[in-house]
Amino acid sequence: MARQAHAYHMVDPSPWPLTGATAALLLTSGLAVWFHYHSTTLMTLGLILMLLTMYQWWRDIVREGTYMGHHTPPVQKGLRYGMIPFITSEVFFFLGFFWAFFHSSLAPTPELGGCWPPTGITPLDPFEVPLLNTAVLLASGVTVTWAHHSLMEGQRKEAIQSLALTILLGCYFTTLQAMEYYEAPFTIADGVYGSTFFVATGFHGLHVIIGTSFLAGICLLRQIKYHFTSQHHFGFEAAAWYWHFVDVVWLFLYVSIYWWGS
Amino acid sequence: MYYKFSGFTQRLTGSAPSTAYVPQGLRPGIPAESPAMVFATPTKVVSEVGTTVEYLGANKVPDLQRIFQGNVMPVHLKMGVPDKLLYRTTMALTIGGTLYCLLALYIAAQPRK
Repeated sequence: MARQAHAYHMVDPSPWPLTGATAALLLTSGLAVWFHYHSTTLMTLGLILMLLTMYQWWRDIVREGTYMGHHTPPVQKGLRYGMIPFITSEVFFFLGFFWAFFHSSLAPTPELGGCWPPTGITPLDPFEVPLLNTAVLLASGVTVTWAHHSLMEGQRKEAIQSLALTILLGCYFTTLQAMEYYEAPFTIADGVYGSTFFVATGFHGLHVIIGTSFLAGICLLRQIKYHFTSQHHFGFEAAAWYWHFVDVVWLFLYVSIYWWGS
Repeated sequence: MYYKFSGFTQRLTGSAPSTAYVPQGLRPGIPAESPAMVFATPTKVVSEVGTTVEYLGANKVPDLQRIFQGNVMPVHLKMGVPDKLLYRTTMALTIGGTLYCLLALYIAAQPRK
C-alpha cells in the first residue's frame, strides 16, 4: 500500500450521496403521489432507500474512523467544525417556532379574545408533568457528562452504565411527553395556541427521539464494542453536544410556552 | 494533576498521566529519560483498558483494524459478501425506484379525463 505523507482523509468514491439524493426524490414524489392517488408505494420505497443509505453511510464513517485510522486530529477538527454549524442550523430551526409563538402571544388578536392563552383554551399546568420533564432532562444532562468523564478516564463499565442511564432518562421523557399529549385538553387544530404548542413541542420531541437513538443505537453500541478510547471518541462528543442542545431547547420551551404562556 | 495541549482549544487541558508523557499528535524528538524506579511501594500499572477487560464481551477492534487496513476494496465493500448484498440491494432500489418515480410523475402529469 502507498504511504500517505499527510494527515488528511482522502475519501473513497462513495455511492451514498447518489442513493441518498434518490431517496429524497422518491420520498417527495411519493408524498405527492400519496396525497393525490392514495398510494404509499413510492413513499415506502423512498423510506426504505433512505434508511439503507443512512445505515451504510454512517457504518462507513465508523469504519473509516475506528478501523482504518482516517480520523486523525486534523480530521477530527474538521468533524467538530461540521457539527457546530449543524447544531447552529437546528437552533435557528427552533427559533422560527419561538418567533411564531411570541408573534401570536405578545399581541393576541381580537379573534383570540385579546388574551393569552386564548379564550377557551385550558393550558397544561407547568408545575405538574412538564416540571418533572425538566428535571428528567436536566438529570440526563448530568449523566451524559458522567459518561463523558468515565470515557476520558478509561472507566469502561461506568461509561456504559451512565450512558445507559442517560438513554433511560431520554425514554422516560418521551413516555411522559406522549402521556401529556394524550391527556392534553386542546389539540393541534385548536387555533394558533394548539398549532404553536404542538409544532414546537412536537419537533422537540422528535429531536429527543433522534438524540436518544444517537446515544443508544450508536454510542452505547460502539462503547460496548470498544470503539471509543479515552483520547478519541468524537462520535460520543457529537451525540453529547446534540443532547445538550435538545436539553437547552426544552428549557426555553418550558419557560416560554409552558410557564409564561400559561 | 497532568496536562496536555489541546489542539482544538489551543489551551492546556487536564489529561491522564499516561497521555501527559505522550501528547496526542506529538512525537518526542529526544528520547525522554525514564524516571528512576521506586520499588518501595507496590507498583501500580496505569492501563488504558483497566481491570474490567471482559465486561460485556471481548475487544475485537484490533482484529477488525487488521482486516480493514490490509484490504484494497472501497470502504463500503470491505467486509465482502454481506456488504456486496446490501450495496446491490440499495443500488437496485435506487435504479428501480427512479424509473418507477419517473413513470408515476409522467402519469400524474397527464390531464384528467
